[in-house]
Amino acid sequence: MKTLKLFAGLVMGTALCGPVAAQDNLDKLGNMQKTGATFTMIEQTGATADSLAAIIPHINVPKGFEVSLYAVVPDARSMAVAPQGTVVFVGTRKDKVWSVVDRDRNRVADQVMDFAPSITFDIPNGPCFSSDGFLYIAERNRVLQFPAAEFFFEGPDPAVGVVVKQGDLIPAEEESFNHTARVCRIGPDGKLYISLGQPHNIQPLDKLEMYDKIGMGGIIRMNTDGSGREVFTRGVRNSVGHDFNPANGDLWWTDNQTDGMGDDIPPGEINRQTAAGQHFGYPWLGGINTVIPDYKDVPRPEGVEFIPPAVEMQAHAADLGMSFYRGKSFPAEYQKGIFSAQHGSWNRTVPVGAQVMFTKVDDEGNAAGTEVFADGWLNKDTGEYRGRPMDIAFLPDGSMLVSDDFAGAIWRIAYAGEAAE
Amino acid sequence: MKLLVSLALGGVILAGGAFAENAGDRAAGKKLAGQCRTCHGIDGKAQIPIAPHIGGEPADYIVHQLTAFRDGTRTHEMMTIVAKSLTDQQILDLAAWYSGNTISTTLTNDPADAPEVCVACHGVDGIALIPDAPNLAGETNIYIDTQLKAFRNGKRTQELMTPIAKELTDVDIRAVADWYSEVQIEIKMVE
Repeated sequence: MKTLKLFAGLVMGTALCGPVAAQDNLDKLGNMQKTGATFTMIEQTGATADSLAAIIPHINVPKGFEVSLYAVVPDARSMAVAPQGTVVFVGTRKDKVWSVVDRDRNRVADQVMDFAPSITFDIPNGPCFSSDGFLYIAERNRVLQFPAAEFFFEGPDPAVGVVVKQGDLIPAEEESFNHTARVCRIGPDGKLYISLGQPHNIQPLDKLEMYDKIGMGGIIRMNTDGSGREVFTRGVRNSVGHDFNPANGDLWWTDNQTDGMGDDIPPGEINRQTAAGQHFGYPWLGGINTVIPDYKDVPRPEGVEFIPPAVEMQAHAADLGMSFYRGKSFPAEYQKGIFSAQHGSWNRTVPVGAQVMFTKVDDEGNAAGTEVFADGWLNKDTGEYRGRPMDIAFLPDGSMLVSDDFAGAIWRIAYAGEAAE
Repeated sequence: MKLLVSLALGGVILAGGAFAENAGDRAAGKKLAGQCRTCHGIDGKAQIPIAPHIGGEPADYIVHQLTAFRDGTRTHEMMTIVAKSLTDQQILDLAAWYSGNTISTTLTNDPADAPEVCVACHGVDGIALIPDAPNLAGETNIYIDTQLKAFRNGKRTQELMTPIAKELTDVDIRAVADWYSEVQIEIKMVE
């Protein structure tokens, strides 16, 4: 084929990490060999950092909290704080995973560079850690595992294993470039949980059964070696954030709802799942009881109870990443609750969202009130975004990190008031 | 072809508007583009990775794609919804607005390495040379990758692209996508 020679030349020409080399690299890295890949470093001072710093005065937080710029990170999406707390791994909807390092622990990153530059990533949105230091990265259609990533990230060729090989997460023909940003977490059972959005606004009827079986429009779980895959959560539209309640192991997750039904319906969702296999109603229902017209006359799955969301959120605000607060430094009222990021709307007449929300969780594990925690990333006068919060994570000191893929930043929100009780 | 290949590394070409022969009203298009700006920018420079740059895009291509999204022959989680309510005239207006802005490119790699199978229509620097082809310059590589795979598996069809994509491996596709995504672009709004 005529193009083959050309592509070989192209790889040589760009020299850094051509894709032909990349497939070989996965094999090479598995054998602990070197590839010759080089890092992309992101400047942490200068014009970009200055323009990001100028956003900070616009961000509103409750009394006693302070906002700062933690790092300049292009396209920053879901975050995973490594167990030792030195490095934060940050996914993107492009082709990079960033390592963000704060060696001197002054709570400002001093080094941001791409992780595993020898590997050709494809929408590596979702990093997550096991407590014993394995980093998992859920891509559009592959899942990789990096042992001791917190120590190996400084070399371009970290050890890597394949948990789900390319094309086995979903059928390749179902790949899209929107509802394909995965997130993952290791559950209390030690299994790997991965969200799988379905690649439509509303899935067509002829795809319904196939998606349900695969777990598209759901959350799947598997052993960390990729075996024992099963659908854990059904009836989801496109979830891009989940976390386990450390108090009782319930899985909570956000879900983005149907577009094109108007500005104010269906409500966004934060869901609470208490058992494997529960069905949350999509594509029949959005929010507690908004009927999706396309499925009005489609019989609901027999013998299945739809679990309503624990919290209805503002329609189209795009609730994405979320984390339970496990730290100590925030005031007592925030402890054990959920912080979640609203990415902001895209075609709502008046833009909404672009804020950090807080949901209190009571001793019985129920949602007990949701409020705005931080806002100001949306300029309400012009409807323009200054930034778009995407995910929430916490440093070992209990301070919050907010990733922002629009501004290309990670913001830090710390409590500077009197110490919590 | 020779002309393009002889471009110096780092050279700049201006394009855009060259194919804008339609009955669209730019002022009306700009107004309508309020619904597009969150993702594509008011000037057509994409604001999010999943959206392509459409400032300086050939008008015919914009018309063709919006019509395809409206008719359901091309689908996307978001575009299927917003295109549904557009009239033929609105599509022409939007195409007139966005195609009338200009895009300029700067190559960062050796033009001799441009993907041979693509350059006749999409240019060495990713600026379309025929009316019904998109600019590829500076698009997120995953966007181009996704489209080529959609042509290959039949989810998206086009008489030229379908047979070309069928010959490409995943590695070929990513190489093409990387080439065009690394082209630097600047989009200027023309009032």
